[in-house]
Amino acid sequence: MITVSRLLRQPATLVCLAFLLLLVVAAVAAPWLAPYDPSAVNVTGRLEGPSAAHWLGTDELGRDQLSRLIYGTRIALRASVQAVGLALVLGVPAGLVIGYFGGWWDRVAMRVVDAVSSIPALLLAFGVIALLGRGLTNAMLGVSVIFAIQLLRLTRGMVLAERELPYVDAARVLGLSAPRIMFGQILPNVAGPLIVQSSIYLGFAQLFEAMLSFLGLGVDVGDASWGQMLDRSRAYVGDQPWLPVFPGLAIMLTVLAFNLIGDGLRDAMSGARAPAPTWKPPPVRLVPAEPTRALLSVRSLTVAFPGAATVVEDVSFDIAEGEVFGLVGESGSGKTMTALALAGLLPPPGAVTQGSVRLAGRELLGLPDHELAALRGPEIGMIFQDPQSALSPVHTIGRQLIEPLRTHEGLSRRAALDRAAELLTLVGVPDARRRLGDHPHQFSGGMAQRVVIARALAAGPRLLIADEPTTALDVTVQCQVLDLLLDLRERFGMTILLITHDLGVVADVCDRVAVMRAGRIVEQAPVGGLFTTPEHPYTAALLAASGGAHA
Amino acid sequence: MRKLILSRLVALPPMLLLVSVVVFLLTRVGVDPTRQMLGEGASEAQRAALRQQLGYDQPLVVQFGSWLGQVFRGDLGTSFFTQQPIVSSLAERLPVTLAMVAGGTLLAIAVGVPAGIWGALRAGSAIDRMITAVTSAGLAMPGFWLALLLMLFFAVELRWFPVLGFTRFADGPGMWAYGLVLPCVALGLHSAAVIARQTRGAMAETLRAPYVRALRAVGTPRRRIVYRYALRNAMVPILTAAGHEVVVLLAVSFVVERVFAIPGTGTLILDAVVRNDVPVLQGGIVLVACLVVLINLAVDVGYGLLDPKARPQ
Repeated sequence: MITVSRLLRQPATLVCLAFLLLLVVAAVAAPWLAPYDPSAVNVTGRLEGPSAAHWLGTDELGRDQLSRLIYGTRIALRASVQAVGLALVLGVPAGLVIGYFGGWWDRVAMRVVDAVSSIPALLLAFGVIALLGRGLTNAMLGVSVIFAIQLLRLTRGMVLAERELPYVDAARVLGLSAPRIMFGQILPNVAGPLIVQSSIYLGFAQLFEAMLSFLGLGVDVGDASWGQMLDRSRAYVGDQPWLPVFPGLAIMLTVLAFNLIGDGLRDAMSGARAPAPTWKPPPVRLVPAEPTRALLSVRSLTVAFPGAATVVEDVSFDIAEGEVFGLVGESGSGKTMTALALAGLLPPPGAVTQGSVRLAGRELLGLPDHELAALRGPEIGMIFQDPQSALSPVHTIGRQLIEPLRTHEGLSRRAALDRAAELLTLVGVPDARRRLGDHPHQFSGGMAQRVVIARALAAGPRLLIADEPTTALDVTVQCQVLDLLLDLRERFGMTILLITHDLGVVADVCDRVAVMRAGRIVEQAPVGGLFTTPEHPYTAALLAASGGAHA
Repeated sequence: MRKLILSRLVALPPMLLLVSVVVFLLTRVGVDPTRQMLGEGASEAQRAALRQQLGYDQPLVVQFGSWLGQVFRGDLGTSFFTQQPIVSSLAERLPVTLAMVAGGTLLAIAVGVPAGIWGALRAGSAIDRMITAVTSAGLAMPGFWLALLLMLFFAVELRWFPVLGFTRFADGPGMWAYGLVLPCVALGLHSAAVIARQTRGAMAETLRAPYVRALRAVGTPRRRIVYRYALRNAMVPILTAAGHEVVVLLAVSFVVERVFAIPGTGTLILDAVVRNDVPVLQGGIVLVACLVVLINLAVDVGYGLLDPKARPQ
């Protein structure tokens, strides 16, 4: 139902549905709508251009183009619906059965499927025509087989995933028979993508009908089909250039309508798409702030997603040089958004709407991205929660480690690689030189996080923002990575903003803490004070919930 | 890498065998060539004699065995009608088909990939919406209709190109190539729409990936992120689309041949369909299926080159 109401809010889809309705009406009511008999020959009025008598002109036998076009909708719709209908009847049940039972049958069936799908649909149609004789129905049979095979593949793939889900187990426990599970339980759950694909295949089928008729393998010479009209126009375009225009437009618009409806259905089922990132920060209302001696000074920072919630509201804090400052709160409290806002890396459409962020006295908000980019690395470093996703899967570690060295220090490739190996050794990756040539998937989570830390430290940042740096790691590795961070802080003289939901970590490593809840800071205190005498009831609740974290 | 190629090559023969079974069944079962060759007037004795001569009187398995044996020796038989060896007629027709497919594919990539990147970088802007609209229209446009319109405009109206009349390669490579420009453009623009669409989607996806944010967090310049990292990651889906498009172009080129009256593989196969010339049809479909299998092999190897996880460890 949500899908339908979403669909009804897509103007393009509505226009396409209306167009298809028009085609259906044209096909059904062709004898009443067509101004002339589509096969009435008129030798004196042949190859005319569009006129009042013949809106779309006449062909080489003087037949009215508009009437032929209207009758052509019958062939077009019949061919598409036949081809896709048959494909659904053949492909979907086969895919359900093969996917559900799997095993040996699956392996054999998929090999055959691979073999048949290496014959393009057009050639399979040729083969079927050779076998069964000419005619549109036979020709579309070959196309249908290819559609069926693709639907089989799609269905099987989805069933393989579905049959592992709890509802299928539940149905088995309830004693439902296999056919009832397949058709009653699984099919409704995989129907969405099948409907989308069918709509797109209806368009493809139209293209194939046109191609086959154009090649003279489709309809009989007497019948009017758009593809056949195009075929006949070839010989006469020199005399009447309008001839190929309208049948082609009819084909294109029909295919377009099916495609757009498919797209609309997909969007309606999946919901809105996330927008791509933008490099241009939207305007910010800067809040005037008095100078402080802190390294990082944040005032009244507010982050909002247009049309949605304000995720960070009026956040202010200072971090002194050399301090380890903790920002704690449960997930969704705005910690990460705060961190991303500081570095100018908010995911669009999220944006800082007001506030002030000063690093060593310099205002960061409102800086153009290329100026911020120059600060990211030597001034601000950042570590993310999931180290694997912070590394490009198709590039070597070495290639990714030397990025900041080449950008900020202007090192040559060779020098940068030497330095990268040193950094890797420093963060505790054994056999660093050789590992520079490895790809991220060859590293464990803990090792990958060390790589990401090495990259963040490469340009020697004054402030390191570590966003849940240990959350995605095994418990045993968590301590090692934290110890490494503290060790590096002393070595590099860094200031650290540590974002975490783990109060135990805070107690261990932080000097001061701010507690965030629902986008606001509810309490800010030195670590000792916060743990012994929490002022805000939420902090107390958080402490109570984490139980023995302090010990 | 060598391991990957080897494993794919090992999988090739069983695949080709299965393909040949499918093609054989498709074109042989239930087909009686004598009706076509001798006409309706021939006596049953004459038919039986011809069937025996062609080997159609034997059990299917035997027929398949001898046909496969022939194919292995590089002999696809001779045409029922022209009596020409099929291998040599295919060899004569294939180059022009391959030239059209190659030209079309190159054009499709050259136009589609930059257009897709452009759209992804300006997602939601007027330019992006315009590119999306043009690609949607391109996807829906029948390739042969575009070919017809191109011919109408550039050859019939402007007279920049010869209307019909194909120049054989041997008679002048320059004119041969000139005659293939419009067919390649018609094929390429259609596929360009598909590739642009795939590229735009893949780039929009990779530009949202966490590693892009992580690269920005160390100050990597935008240009390098887009072209060296995001594009490189987006190339796997782009390759999938391109591989698929090569196969589509191969089939659509058969139709486009008819527009420009180019005597390519498609015309040969189409004539065989019309005349029910079974050996030529068989040979043609086997050739195309083998080309498709090889294209898929190339795409698989491409995955290995692009994605380290696709390489056997």
